[in-house]
Amino acid sequence: MIIAERKLFEQIWESIKDRKSVLILGCGTCVSVCQSGGEKEVGLLASELRMKSKLEGKEIKIEEATIERQCDKEFFDSIKDKAKEYDAILSMACGAGVQFSAEVLEPVVVIPALNTRFIGVTMDEGIWAERCRACGNCVLRDYGGICPITICAKSLVNGPCGGSKNGKCEASQEKDCAWVLIYNRLKKQNRLDELRRWAPLKDYTTQTHPGRYVNEAYRKPELEAKNVK
Amino acid sequence: MQQAKKLLQEVGIEPERVEMFNIGASDAVLFARAADQMTESARRLGPNPLKKPRGEVK
Amino acid sequence: MSNSKLKQAFDSGKFVVTAEAGPLKGTEVDEMAEIAGVLKGKVDAVNVTDQQSSVMRLGSMVICHLLKDWGLEPIFQLTCRDRNRIALQSDLLSAWVLGVENCVALTGDLPSSGDHPQAKPVYDLDSVQLLQVIRNLNEGHDMAGNELKGKPDFFAGAVVNPGADTEAAYELQLMKLEKKIAAGARFFQTQAIFNPDTFARFMKRVEQYKIPVLAGVIPLKSAGMARFMNKNVAGINVPEPMISRMTKAEDKTKAGIELCAELIKSLKGMCQGVHIMAIGWEKKVPDILDVAGLT
Repeated sequence: MIIAERKLFEQIWESIKDRKSVLILGCGTCVSVCQSGGEKEVGLLASELRMKSKLEGKEIKIEEATIERQCDKEFFDSIKDKAKEYDAILSMACGAGVQFSAEVLEPVVVIPALNTRFIGVTMDEGIWAERCRACGNCVLRDYGGICPITICAKSLVNGPCGGSKNGKCEASQEKDCAWVLIYNRLKKQNRLDELRRWAPLKDYTTQTHPGRYVNEAYRKPELEAKNVK
Repeated sequence: MQQAKKLLQEVGIEPERVEMFNIGASDAVLFARAADQMTESARRLGPNPLKKPRGEVK
Repeated sequence: MSNSKLKQAFDSGKFVVTAEAGPLKGTEVDEMAEIAGVLKGKVDAVNVTDQQSSVMRLGSMVICHLLKDWGLEPIFQLTCRDRNRIALQSDLLSAWVLGVENCVALTGDLPSSGDHPQAKPVYDLDSVQLLQVIRNLNEGHDMAGNELKGKPDFFAGAVVNPGADTEAAYELQLMKLEKKIAAGARFFQTQAIFNPDTFARFMKRVEQYKIPVLAGVIPLKSAGMARFMNKNVAGINVPEPMISRMTKAEDKTKAGIELCAELIKSLKGMCQGVHIMAIGWEKKVPDILDVAGLT
């Protein structure tokens, strides 16, 4: 899922302190799972902002709402009209959700409360780790299911650099050397020989941005005409 | 509790204003002590800044 | 086929000596000129590092060019950290035009190691791919298959870490060495060796490739330096007896030079040369060579 973390309180305060009324809009999908922007976090941030607002002698109206997700337009229906009554929306979604909110609720100002970090997994309670860099050309088959693009700090594909120490990365003793992990995994799978193969040059066209993915099976000609921007 | 204190700190309120005590239902002594501690903190820290009457400009 | 002075040195069968020089931060080159004066005639070639340790410095290409003027044989070190494939190919062509005939392809330290940690790391290519690129340019075409108007003829080398400290890392270093040779590496310079036995074991695995290997050595300046490297630098393992010797020595400089020279003597029979990495201490290299009997 997408992992995001809440911005520093000071930064959030600075971005809304001159607003008269703010709706904090949470998202019930990824950011709820990584406990950064779900209904609970919306409530906590709302309390904090109300307290701060009072301490600073300001009278900002702070209200709360959470929708299923902010990356599918249908979920905005329930709050679209109400949202337009506010001076600003403080979105607790990932960057994609914030942008969609800004688009759907235009011209209402939408401000992000989170910093989107990466695509990752839950390692343990309160710990999330990056697993995928959305490179657009998944080569996990060749590396025993361990991504060298993501886990190797230098995204090396033909083997480790000389900085691997104690099985850890040159960047930090707290990060595993992806190549040691890949070697050990392939060893368990009796596939070490595959590491002798040359990895091809990366094709960065798969990462040209902004990306767009169209599945023709779901396209209707009239929708295409309407959505082309 | 750590998290609650952190949130208060972010806002600018002293974290000592909130504490958690684990006290058995019949443990009057501990309860009294906890109450004393919080009263003492409250006195030392002064009135809760959030309790200023509305309209008072800081 | 390349015919650089470095290649000729290897072909002659002599024990090749290379040193390393690190450009400084700024446009002054007097210090480099002095180092060149000290090393001239004493070493077969000099590596010039490329933003070593990810600290922004004067470029390797320009110093390589100046070294030629000053009478030395330069080795252009090129990392994958800062430049994409377009810039790397271009820099290689440019270096050739400036008279540089040898190069070493490296991955490069992360920006976080240096003084511009917020810089964007590039790593468009890795060192294996960079060696392929060099070979392609030598053959007269770029990576997109276009023919070149005028081609270089680089004598390209690579690096290897015989001190990799886990089975996985060690075996992978050897696999990568094999790939680098297949990609066009014609010689290797190793991470600093402090244990001849470890090096002997490594050379046993590498002999089969019949490729010149230069054993890397770093002269110690103090026990503290040895401990620091043991703790922080991958592949370096200075044994306790050596650290003790440095601690006990009254004249640290003399001890450091002697230790380095002794190491070179014990490694001499196992490989085709030595690569002396005395960054910041380049002027001591002739002394080391003297004591090692390599003048």
